[in-house]
Amino acid sequence: MAASLVEIGIALAAVALAGLAANRVGLSVIPAYIVAGILVGPEWPTEVLGVSLQLVAYGEFIAVAAELGIVFLLFFLGLEFSVGQLLADRKRITKAGSVDFLLNFGAGVALGVLFGRTPLETLLIAGVVYISSSAVVTKSIIDRGWVANPEAEPILGTLVFEDIVIAVYLALVAALLTGSGDLAGAAMDVARAFAFLGAIAAVAWYGTDYVERAFDLPNDELFLLHVLGATTLVAGAALATGVSEAVAAFFVGTAFSQTPHTDRIEDVVAPVRDLFAAVFFFAIGLTTDVTVLAGVAALLAVAVVLTTGTKLVSGTIGGRVYDLSPTRSLRTGIGLVPRAEFSLVIATLAAGAGGTLADVVPAFTVGYVLAMSVLGTVMIQHADRLTDSLAPLVADVTGE
Amino acid sequence: MTIYETEVPGVGHKFELEIDGDERLVVIIHHDGKRDVYRRPDPDADSEQLFSLTGKQARQLGSILEGAYFQPVELDEVEVPLGESIIEWTEVGADAPVVGQSIADCDIRSRTGVSVMAIQRGEETIPNPGPDATIETGDVLVTLGSREEHSALSDLVED
Repeated sequence: MAASLVEIGIALAAVALAGLAANRVGLSVIPAYIVAGILVGPEWPTEVLGVSLQLVAYGEFIAVAAELGIVFLLFFLGLEFSVGQLLADRKRITKAGSVDFLLNFGAGVALGVLFGRTPLETLLIAGVVYISSSAVVTKSIIDRGWVANPEAEPILGTLVFEDIVIAVYLALVAALLTGSGDLAGAAMDVARAFAFLGAIAAVAWYGTDYVERAFDLPNDELFLLHVLGATTLVAGAALATGVSEAVAAFFVGTAFSQTPHTDRIEDVVAPVRDLFAAVFFFAIGLTTDVTVLAGVAALLAVAVVLTTGTKLVSGTIGGRVYDLSPTRSLRTGIGLVPRAEFSLVIATLAAGAGGTLADVVPAFTVGYVLAMSVLGTVMIQHADRLTDSLAPLVADVTGE
Repeated sequence: MTIYETEVPGVGHKFELEIDGDERLVVIIHHDGKRDVYRRPDPDADSEQLFSLTGKQARQLGSILEGAYFQPVELDEVEVPLGESIIEWTEVGADAPVVGQSIADCDIRSRTGVSVMAIQRGEETIPNPGPDATIETGDVLVTLGSREEHSALSDLVED
């Protein structure tokens, strides 16, 4: 017991120090947590100056805590998913979101085909490079003050659209990966997954009153335990039936989003999400063998360059859909460049599937997320230089 | 003044207030209660952050702005030269001595001190009645004067 406690202590201390360092240099904490996991984990580097760096193993406790990280990341995504905003602005959100999907998911498919990957790997790579990071994007646009500018609308609108796509995508991919292989079996798996999730979605939609009353609890402690219990139970039941636990958690979140409990959840449950999410990112680092990255280096390099470009273009078009100036449209594109947590959630699915899929996609995703979360944040910080040189070009192209 | 409200997922709520022409105040209320206040001088400019407050500070500033700490005398009201005077509505009784007389004949101004601003008769209103306007049963006299002057009027025209 003492040994496990020390191990978890080292894990949490490593995450804390990594987070502190990231904050000092103004970068996202997510890549820092991953690097912390790589450093103290069982893979390379294994020692420095004769001192062992294999301090933390990927044990059951960390595996389950990381799983809870996924569940609560998606739970909050559902909680903060605003149906009202989506409906009120559906035309522009759909336009900007569709361009975003076509260009970036399309770029991922092109990458897979170009590098001769299997269809399933291609599908996963496309998901990884498509979805922007809500966490990094939101934090960056607050730090930069863009949240108070008109460019916040297309940025947040596109993120809302991506939320829906990722819910459907995760449900689909989870069913395909656990599936029986042949086409008819896969179709059955997908149908079952959507039936299960449809049931949760229906409860979320029609059960708002019930949820509101059931969780109207007298103190924060009881409230926290009820929310954690309900969410984890539904997610666990989903996983046990072969359905994406992440998407189940997403719908549990949407059930709460229409109740007055949202503020209390942000207040009381968010710290729990932060803890488990940090362990999730750290665990990704633990399981990453950096030497495998060499095998996907070419794919990685092309993906970073190509999908930075496609996000920049799709975001700029999104900004133009909202009638923004060239500078603000470019900021929309720059703001959406960071990819992080949801790409890693997709990679975790691949890691669980086994086979060559478990080698290529997770390694690629870790390298990709490390690059894109840092690159995206730095681009947002130095956006003025980019927009100054690119705005005339955008003005030319759009004829303004 | 138009106020736009939008949700910022993971952060809280954003409010934009149109203040002067194109100028806008932008207030971000975070889930933890923190408030960031920005000002955007015109649609093409970037929002500059003015200040950031905790929930408690924001509520205190709010009550100061609202006037709960100190209520200023609004200039618009000072300009109305009523002084001690009030406006009253008084109905003329059937047996009042002034019924059938003109305003000049019954000499309301010198007998009571009030000025007749208007006479309401059924659905119609006679504004600024002249000295020869007659007073009839059921009329409502709209008058300006002090409380004492109005009680003198009541004695004169009510039953």
